[in-house]
Amino acid sequence: MNPMLSRKLVEVTADTLEKLAFIFTFPSEDAPAVEGQDQEVVRVDFSGPFGGGLELSLPSSARGELAVNMLGAEDGEELSPEQQRDALKELINVVCGNLLPVLAGHTEEFNLRPPYMVSDESAVWDDPAAVGYLMLENGACRVRMRLDGSPDQFLPGLEPTGGPLSS
Amino acid sequence: MAVNILIVDDSGVMRSMIKKSMQMSGLQIGEIYQAANGREGMDALDQHWIDLVITDINMPVMTGEEMIGQMHERPDLKTIPTIVVSTEGSQTRIERLKTKGLKFIHKPFSPEKIRDTVKDVLGSEVFNEPNA
Repeated sequence: MNPMLSRKLVEVTADTLEKLAFIFTFPSEDAPAVEGQDQEVVRVDFSGPFGGGLELSLPSSARGELAVNMLGAEDGEELSPEQQRDALKELINVVCGNLLPVLAGHTEEFNLRPPYMVSDESAVWDDPAAVGYLMLENGACRVRMRLDGSPDQFLPGLEPTGGPLSS
Repeated sequence: MAVNILIVDDSGVMRSMIKKSMQMSGLQIGEIYQAANGREGMDALDQHWIDLVITDINMPVMTGEEMIGQMHERPDLKTIPTIVVSTEGSQTRIERLKTKGLKFIHKPFSPEKIRDTVKDVLGSEVFNEPNA
C-alpha cells in the first residue's frame, strides 16, 4: 500500500463528492468497519500509460442523497434505483478522471471504461495499490485503487517532494 | 431564436444535470435531445435540426472524440457548435479538441460555467434578458 497514493485518493474523492454532490466528508486515518455493512460498491477500469481500476464503497443509505443532490431533485422526490446507481457510476467516473492527471501529470492520455456495480461475480481485489476512508454523515466511504503493477514502477513521482503528485 | 440542443453522455444522471443547467441558464431552448453514446448522437444529428451539441468523451459504442471526428467529415454537421463536458484531464487531448474549434468544460462543473460557455459559443442574443 502506498500512503501518498492513498492520500491523493482520499483528497480527490472528498473534493469530487463536495463539488458534484454537495456531500461533505472527513478523512479517516483508521479503517472504519465497513465490512458486513450494507454498502454499494462501484468500480471503473482505465487504461493508458498504466492501467488499473478505482473502486468506491458507500453506505446504501447515502445512495439516495447522492442522486438527489446531483440531480437537484425536489425535497421528497423519489428517484429510481437505476438513477441512484447511475449517480454512483458518474461519481466514480468523475473521481477517476480527476485523479489520474494528479498522479500521472496533465499530458498523459487515459481511457476510462464504463463504470459498473460490483457483484458477487466481480473479481476480488486482494492487493490494492491504495486505500482510503472518508466519514460521511451517514457512514463510512472506502475508496481503493488497483494498478496493473506496482505504483512505484509506473509513478516515479510518488515521492512527497517530486513529480506530478506534489502539484 | 430557440436553440435545439443535443446532449450526448452515457450517464443519464449527467444528461439530466446538463439539461437542468441549460434550463436554468436563461437560454431560449427549443428541443433538447439526448443520446447515450456517439453512435446515438450521430443518429440524432441525422434525424433532427441541432444548433448545439454537448458531449462527453469516454462513452461505450462510440466515443465523443470519434463522433466529433465523424461530424467534421460531414459538411452539414461540421459547423455545429460543440462543447465537450468531460472528466478529461489530459491537456494533450483537450488541446487536440480545441484545435477543432470545440469548447471544453471539466467535470464537475457549475451551472454558471455551462451558461457562460454556451453564451461564448452562441452569443448573448439567444438568452433571455435577465440572464443575458
